Amino acid sequence: MIDQAAAARQAQGERIPGAGFAARGFTAGYGGVPVIGPLGLDLPEPGIYTVLGPSGSGKSTLLRAAAGLLPDFGGSLALGGRPLGGGRRAGGAANGQAAVRVGFVPQNYGLLPWQTAIRNVRTALRIARPEEPRAVREEAAARWLERVGLGGLERRYPRELSGGQQQRVAIARAFAVRPDLLLLDEPFSALDAVTREGLQRLLLGSWRAQPSTMLFVTHDVEEAVLLGRRILLLPGGARTSDDRNRAEASSYKGGLLQIDNEALAELPFEDKRDSDKFQEQTRTLRRLLREGWEATDEP
Amino acid sequence: MNPNSGRFVLRLLAVFAALHVLWALLSALLHRDMLPSPLAVYRALFVLDGAETLLHIGTSLGRVFAGIGLALILGLLPGLLMGRSPHWNRLLDPVVYLTYPVPKIALLPVAMLFLGLGEASKIVMIALILVFQIVISVRDGVKAIPAHTYDVLTSLGAGRMERFLHATLPGALSSLLSTLRISLGTAFSVLFFTEIYGTEHGMGYFIMDAWLRLDYADMYAGILLFSAVGFALFLLVDLIEHRFMKWRG
Repeated sequence: MIDQAAAARQAQGERIPGAGFAARGFTAGYGGVPVIGPLGLDLPEPGIYTVLGPSGSGKSTLLRAAAGLLPDFGGSLALGGRPLGGGRRAGGAANGQAAVRVGFVPQNYGLLPWQTAIRNVRTALRIARPEEPRAVREEAAARWLERVGLGGLERRYPRELSGGQQQRVAIARAFAVRPDLLLLDEPFSALDAVTREGLQRLLLGSWRAQPSTMLFVTHDVEEAVLLGRRILLLPGGARTSDDRNRAEASSYKGGLLQIDNEALAELPFEDKRDSDKFQEQTRTLRRLLREGWEATDEP
Repeated sequence: MNPNSGRFVLRLLAVFAALHVLWALLSALLHRDMLPSPLAVYRALFVLDGAETLLHIGTSLGRVFAGIGLALILGLLPGLLMGRSPHWNRLLDPVVYLTYPVPKIALLPVAMLFLGLGEASKIVMIALILVFQIVISVRDGVKAIPAHTYDVLTSLGAGRMERFLHATLPGALSSLLSTLRISLGTAFSVLFFTEIYGTEHGMGYFIMDAWLRLDYADMYAGILLFSAVGFALFLLVDLIEHRFMKWRG
């Protein structure tokens, strides 16, 4: 089994400047009230980046903006120099560049209830990869459902599947389109602990088979530490100019705190929870979440 | 309600038989020609001219389908617009709200005045009954589609047409079929009214004609046929629902 971090480093060697996920002065809000930003960051490609923060910190907003689901936001988001954000912002295709392919896994699975598991995956492929022959798309859909352990259940409708199985379909769908950017919005938060661990393992395995840039939003500290090569910690609380000044003074560079998690990313999934590093990282993160803006010392 | 379940069919047959027993008893008790026995009616039914009966049934079905088609053409677009766009809903909602409670059958004389006694007034009446139900059910069906249903499609780069085909239309279809089932009964009743005038074909004409000729056995035979055709339409909606609504269970 190829290690996550090793795969990441290998690809990092051939990385051109400006590749990967980048945010420049990104701000977003609802009804004129800002919820996130200004945010600036550069993430090397590929890699799994977990986004952690208290509720109201705008984690999901960042993800929805990157997925093209926010009609309007300030600043810019890009992947490998190609603009993100959908609609009129995604001028990529118009400028002769291919548009960024996004795989999106929402918390509620986002499956079309009137389509069977395999049809859900096929529909996604038909939209994202219209240029591919039908046979190739159908083969890819079947292969990914098989890979997430749903062989034999392809013809079931979402209501005939358990929550965990539905999320497997959603993961298969996201990977099947071979996305440049994978966005997961608290995908496992509605599932029980055992199912959740199975799916975390599945997600890591799928990512290793097909590495890309993955942003994984979660409110679960342990999940952030288990999955992320780097953890992006978003500050919560009210956004006043006072907050922002304090943010400038703190270690929250670019409006967020990036915590290196490479050491843990190299361990096999089974050994992570028992390692000292895991305990240390989760302790640090819990403290940072508790203290919010006051946190000044890097872990 | 699964049309394929054997037990359900058995129960239907039991009710069918019980109604006939009740009918036979009543007719024996009454002993008047205004209620012939089932036997007499079925005898009349089987000596009917096959080709002519088929023409009556075909004419009626043609009118019902034309009415449903017209109602769908007129009702789908406003329903979809109102479901998808708050702007259109604000604009059209008062129209629907104000006109919905008008008893459409009361507009029959108006339809006859404007469209004459021919096919047009018959088809328009049926469409008129159905169109408001269709607008409202399509609107509510589309509104009931959760916003997140569109999210994944949008993030994949789906255009308007793809979002409509994969999300809006199937969502609307589900509530459309439930409405069609209910309003089909109403449409059939209206069909009867419209076939009293200006036509020499159709189930309604057949029944009223037999009534005028005091041929009660024929009249009841017509009612039986009319009911059978209505039942067949009901089964058709069931089949369509079974085929397209499997996902709803």
